[in-house]
Amino acid sequence: MNEKNITIIENLIDAMLQQLKQRIGVALGKSDLVNHNECYVNIDSSMIRAGAKALGLEYGFPLVSLFANDERAFDKSFVLYYTFADRENGILYILKTAIAEETGAFDSICDLLPAASAYEREIKDLFGLLPLGHPNPKPLVFHGNWPDLAYPLRKEFDKTKKLPFETKEMVFASVEGEGIYEIPVGPVHAGIIEPGHFRFSVAGEPVINLEAQLYYVHKGIEKLCEGSSIERGLFFSERISGDESFSNSLAYCQAVEKIAMVEIPERAQLTRTFFAELERLISHLGDLGGVCLDAAYGFATFQYRMLRGWAFRIAAETCGMRFLRSINQVGGIRIDFLLGKEESILSQLAVIKKELEDTVDIVKSNSMFTDRIENTGILKNKVAKDLNAVGPGGRASGLPYDVRKDFPYCSYDEIDFSTALQKNGDICSRLQVKIFECYQSIAIMQSVLGTLKEGEIKVSVGAIPAYRCAFGMNEGPKGETFHWLMTGEQDSIFRYKVRTASFCNWPAVCQAVRGNLVPDFPLINKSFNLSYAGNDL
Amino acid sequence: MFKSAKKLLKYGRLTQSFPNKPVNIDGIIGSPEIDPLRCNGCGSCISRCPSNAIVLDNLTKKAAIHLDQCIFCVLCETICPMAAVKMTDKIELAEKEKSKLRAETYTVLDNDILDASEEVLEEELKRKIRKMFGRSLKIREVDSGSCNACDYEINGLNNPFNDIERFGISFVASPRHADMLLVTGTATRNMQVALQKTYHATPDPKLVVAVGACACSGGIFRDSYATTNGIDSLVPVDVYVPGCPPRPQAILYGILKALDRVR
Repeated sequence: MNEKNITIIENLIDAMLQQLKQRIGVALGKSDLVNHNECYVNIDSSMIRAGAKALGLEYGFPLVSLFANDERAFDKSFVLYYTFADRENGILYILKTAIAEETGAFDSICDLLPAASAYEREIKDLFGLLPLGHPNPKPLVFHGNWPDLAYPLRKEFDKTKKLPFETKEMVFASVEGEGIYEIPVGPVHAGIIEPGHFRFSVAGEPVINLEAQLYYVHKGIEKLCEGSSIERGLFFSERISGDESFSNSLAYCQAVEKIAMVEIPERAQLTRTFFAELERLISHLGDLGGVCLDAAYGFATFQYRMLRGWAFRIAAETCGMRFLRSINQVGGIRIDFLLGKEESILSQLAVIKKELEDTVDIVKSNSMFTDRIENTGILKNKVAKDLNAVGPGGRASGLPYDVRKDFPYCSYDEIDFSTALQKNGDICSRLQVKIFECYQSIAIMQSVLGTLKEGEIKVSVGAIPAYRCAFGMNEGPKGETFHWLMTGEQDSIFRYKVRTASFCNWPAVCQAVRGNLVPDFPLINKSFNLSYAGNDL
Repeated sequence: MFKSAKKLLKYGRLTQSFPNKPVNIDGIIGSPEIDPLRCNGCGSCISRCPSNAIVLDNLTKKAAIHLDQCIFCVLCETICPMAAVKMTDKIELAEKEKSKLRAETYTVLDNDILDASEEVLEEELKRKIRKMFGRSLKIREVDSGSCNACDYEINGLNNPFNDIERFGISFVASPRHADMLLVTGTATRNMQVALQKTYHATPDPKLVVAVGACACSGGIFRDSYATTNGIDSLVPVDVYVPGCPPRPQAILYGILKALDRVR
């Protein structure tokens, strides 16, 4: 970020803080600007609703993350971080509220901002802080097998401790009326996918309500990271969600690098850009094939699978792994992966592009397939906005957000590309966005390979200061990947909050399914292709 | 229609000849190997290994790797001061006994040892089962808490390059129709009951293959409040396929190994 931009951002933040001060008064405490664009503002817990209303509703900044941190060791209280993103100007506003241990509760804001609902439930389960006035404070993380009064993310909780199993009934939203019945599905599904339980309330064919019970793959990643070394944290971040390995590890590295205040060499930045786009291409080709498979369109499925196989081949040839792991390293990249492989990659990309064009041409001319996906699974723009739907799911519903544009990272501010945007919000729109982004990824990879100059690929990072925090964010294949890291003493992790795009988009899927036929659910689900692991952690 | 037909003619057969021929990609990362002549037992890889897969062999005083725990992250190769660790391109790593993947031998308790006659009977029975499934096997995949990479690689078995159906093997939608469970993930707390129910819903005789470091040993997610250290604490496992994730060919090798169709 250059000096001019820094001044502009500081002026914008000052103006915003003054306006907030007028509104909220003395409850607004001191503010702190770190990492150039993260503005932490202390606010009294009694005024959090007013603060959230001002930022979230009046200024229209979406709530992009809400998490708690056990800071009782410093000031005897838990701290909640309400993170709002001013995407137009690339600024994050974080309202920090201290919750005393003896209070153990906070005012829910999910009637103002529906996107807060899942975050508040998560805080309730993992920290034992109660969201007062939450309309549906049902357990989110544990399914009735977890003892009461045990909260994993509190510092005193022993992360290796296995607690006894309990059997408490889980209650699902019930829809009543003549002829209405329920279809329970999962957690073990018919396809080769991750576990999750879906409860459909159905009248005849159309779905009236869908409730998703996730967190079957909750492994306690956030807790496992606490206290482990910064180096080890990187390997956890790569294993948050398999098909987003690279974007998650990139977000982690971005956060650590901000805290360590190191500048990443240009060649490493370009290589990261290349792999981020390769991951997007691989993921999108898989999604396109998946939708075709669920619509029983075999020819197209195998075309896309073939394309995906070719894209995987580029990954295997450059880094030895299909899932783009062990590429990122704090301070750059592990080795010079692209060195001497430019020609081979460019020719392979040309083949993929040509074949993709042919395939899309054939698929678009298939009227039966188009009939199945058009106007199916519509996610309305208003709903998408309220739930902060991100990534291709959001862009297909008319939300033009893309972290690559809003908060440029790596080399994206030097690359010319446009944001894919569709208005209809149906499966077809999501596929259009993904097809557009496939071509775009290929173009960006080609331009990166064209501009790649010789140079350093990593810088050494010394001791990392303790008790500093930073956000790492980037646009993963499924959308905005958003991590927050607070360091501890001796290069360890104090708190690591992961929020992948899937966490935002799962509630949106449940909304998009309403009114559609049950057999269309697999298609709608696949068109979003969310990660269960990235949601459950 | 004609365009589709043209494509079908253009790409006649993409399926690779694995396992008859090795994977034809240069530089793929397989299992790590420690050169005992170079290793001086300094222990830097042992303390830094993210999944605690490296241990010091008590006899030789050299580092040794538990392959079932290894996440193939290349860190040991990067940091070894003696350049004793090397990532090989070996991917055919599946084993029927976990002890073959471990660097040290297990402590076996007295009551674990079966009567010799029972052991012979069990081996005979298993051989018969494997023979029965030899040419037609139905698989149900169960994700018991993976990061989804293993699941995508299992999906990859259905793509035109691997085409698992050429072996008479296919995936089915219900455990009731299955002969084999292909289990990924650490068997998280929330999935334990589901995994056990799925196992019991599968008709006998059945085989279980654990895919990936998490299913074999818990991998990097070992010793968490919400995970188990490998699915074999919940269901009996016939073959362990290490890797993070194992390539589709490595999984295929494991499945064929369970059927005694590869050495």
